[in-house]
Amino acid sequence: MSTKLENIVVKFGGEAGEGLMTAGFIAAKYFQRTGLFVFAENDYPSLIRGGHNTFTVRANTEKIYALDGKVDILIALDKRSVLEHINELSANSVVIFDKKLEGELSQIFTNKNIYPVPVPLTQHSAELGDLIYSNQIAIGSLIGLIGGKLEILSTILKEKFSSKKEEILEKNLAAATFGYDFVKMHFKEPFELPIKEQKKNYYLLDGNDAVCLASIKAGVKLVAEYPMSPSSSILHWMAAHSQDYGIVVKQTEDEIAAINYVLGAAYAGVRAMTATSGGGFSLMTEALGNAGLAEIPCVIVEVQRAGPSTGLPTYTDQADLLFVINASQGEFPRIVCMPGDPAEAFYETFNVWNMAELVQTPAIILLDKYLGESFQTVEIKTDNLVVKRGLLQTDQEMENAKQFLRHKITPSGISPRSIPGQKNGLYVASSYEHDESGYSSEDPLNRVMQIDKRARKLSAINPQLYQPVFFGPATAPLLVVSWGSSKGVILEALKHLNRQNIPIRYMHIKYAIPFATDTVKEALVSASKSIIFEGNSTAQMRSYIRQKTGILIENVCLKYDARPFQVEQVVNEIKKLYQSQ
Amino acid sequence: MVELSQLHEPTHTITWCPGCGNFSILAALKKAIVDCNLEPHNTVIVSGIGCGGKIPHFIKTYGFESLHGRALAAASGIKLANHKLEVIVVGGDGDGYGIGANHFIHASRRNYDMTYIVQNNQIYGLTTGQASPTSEKSMKTKSTPFGVIEQPINPIALALAAGATFIARGFSGDLTHLSNLISQGIKHKGFAFIDVFQPCVIWNHINTFEYFRKKCYKLEQTDYKPNDKFEAFRKAFETDKLPIGVFYQEQRPTYEDELPQLSTSPLVKQPIDNIDIQKTLEKYL
Repeated sequence: MSTKLENIVVKFGGEAGEGLMTAGFIAAKYFQRTGLFVFAENDYPSLIRGGHNTFTVRANTEKIYALDGKVDILIALDKRSVLEHINELSANSVVIFDKKLEGELSQIFTNKNIYPVPVPLTQHSAELGDLIYSNQIAIGSLIGLIGGKLEILSTILKEKFSSKKEEILEKNLAAATFGYDFVKMHFKEPFELPIKEQKKNYYLLDGNDAVCLASIKAGVKLVAEYPMSPSSSILHWMAAHSQDYGIVVKQTEDEIAAINYVLGAAYAGVRAMTATSGGGFSLMTEALGNAGLAEIPCVIVEVQRAGPSTGLPTYTDQADLLFVINASQGEFPRIVCMPGDPAEAFYETFNVWNMAELVQTPAIILLDKYLGESFQTVEIKTDNLVVKRGLLQTDQEMENAKQFLRHKITPSGISPRSIPGQKNGLYVASSYEHDESGYSSEDPLNRVMQIDKRARKLSAINPQLYQPVFFGPATAPLLVVSWGSSKGVILEALKHLNRQNIPIRYMHIKYAIPFATDTVKEALVSASKSIIFEGNSTAQMRSYIRQKTGILIENVCLKYDARPFQVEQVVNEIKKLYQSQ
Repeated sequence: MVELSQLHEPTHTITWCPGCGNFSILAALKKAIVDCNLEPHNTVIVSGIGCGGKIPHFIKTYGFESLHGRALAAASGIKLANHKLEVIVVGGDGDGYGIGANHFIHASRRNYDMTYIVQNNQIYGLTTGQASPTSEKSMKTKSTPFGVIEQPINPIALALAAGATFIARGFSGDLTHLSNLISQGIKHKGFAFIDVFQPCVIWNHINTFEYFRKKCYKLEQTDYKPNDKFEAFRKAFETDKLPIGVFYQEQRPTYEDELPQLSTSPLVKQPIDNIDIQKTLEKYL
């Protein structure tokens, strides 16, 4: 009799270069195709071959936002994976591993309530001609053990390997079928997962791809980037889609070039962006100020990794918040957005493009490795997305323009914007302070007027667009605060607390600039206790909120081991605080 | 036809020192724009920071006065966004061979269709007289009171090695010759690089107008042919006498030519208001 599950956690473990990430992703896709909600997260060191990688997939019949719970099935492509993760296994768990390790591992399994499933991974993949097929044998085995459908897996494999040689696809299919048949023949079926109709408009996306899709929808035309983990998948994605969507994607000589390409292209009238991580963003800071001063709209995606310096290139952190808020000398308006999941990354990226052009200033989208590279089933609808280009002048409008002043002082601070090629719109975009025409000026009165003009612009953004998101009853005495990617783990924690009848109000802050000061202040004042969760060691958002509202959030939970929050930890912290009331 | 008077910016005071070599570079550039009949609204002059970086304010076209050293990067973005624009980049030796040297190398090899003029006065002027990447060995400056220790950069050889397709040197003491080189650079399809000897009358008392008048000779008045890279290298290392004129020219497809995305119209002319991403989105089902 197999156990019927509504939730499953599957972990893949193995060396880098064994194709484990692909295998894990295929498993995630399988669950997605069977109508389940999926969350998947990877963990890998900064190297190409060897080392220890994991890919963990959770699937559930209801919406999920993060990993939670013990591992039900461990797919161990090497011995180390068994040794390292054996304590993460649930009671009645399954371990799929290479049959050749049976002797060495049998001792470990006997003392635990584990159902061992040895499969001849290396032996059979060697027969197929390459050890890489071990992955597909393992996935076939997985699908076999959960009462899954081989046809669904085959379809995914066909899509995945459609661009490869026929033989490669055939071997992958053969490997998956072998794994499936092998477990069917030799083992009982421990679990059964429901197979449902796939829901419309639900996609399995990671944060980086969500930003790419939204930027394409928003009409990005130039992407200039220098590779840097964990932002590089944006460069790869954009390059792969550049011809389909008619965009130019340039890998530049360094990050300084990348941002200056973006400034040039945006000045010339196209939507232009770059993506990087903290180190690359450090190199871009001078040009960020240039964009602010010369009023050039553009988008910079900063996918945080653990710093400072080279830091931990493939691990996550939320420690660049105050840096991106304050980066570059002098004062100028900027937009700083911190989406919490791939759906928000999609919608807010689209909004940010419009905001940047409305107020003619640079915008920063702050992701992190955890959000950028974790997959989640999210709903995306593109119907109501409208590109708005602010006061960018059309050729027709400029045809009869007289005495055009690019930096004209206006009540909103926003001035009409011409682009090269338009008659009557000639001006110099300058990195120097300038007068209304764009000509360099050191006049003190002009200086004050231009500073004030630029600062005023942010008020033109509709406040509805940058409000925090609230969850739970507004009357709950305890307010939980977070920003960016911590959202998912906290939402999962709230499910537990809800079941335990602990009422919580949760405020997820999406924008640091513009900042919804009044809303945040009101929420903090009306709560009797508050706690903030942040992935840094100095509680940066807490400082920022205090600076903006004058209120100090009294409780903090900080995580700076370069790993994302865990649901259990969040639940415990909140419960502790709740019980101390 | 564009006329010289159209390029004039009557309200912008030129702030260079009296006798500065930049005046004739400005005049030569204006003359080249007229000679090549470039429309001011379809021309962008991009500069970096330094004395010569102020040049976009003194010619009535579109302009982009970028950060120190970043002119070529900004210009590359402009060119990719709208490759129908005429893009002319102007900057000093500190800007292009020091802080921005990386961009110089890579813009050269990419062969964007643009013209890059370097006002090479072998000194940092605007920051009041420090050594530059082209300051001669042993030259005493504020930052090298005991003399420059390292070798100067050889801009011509560097451009040759990096893959620029039009490489020339002018002298700001010979306006007509320089203007003609700039015109050739503008007409050249690809990355045209023109290094210009530009005496700084305040901070550089070695490489003066007098110095260059004695040492310069014109390549076109010899039997030199600018079509052989190895010969061009030989010329680039002549120091007793200093050749000016075109060192090297070749035809190679530009970066823009190789992009199918630009084959129908410039990026900036492509509509973006209703892009359908559904097909791509469905890959995530």
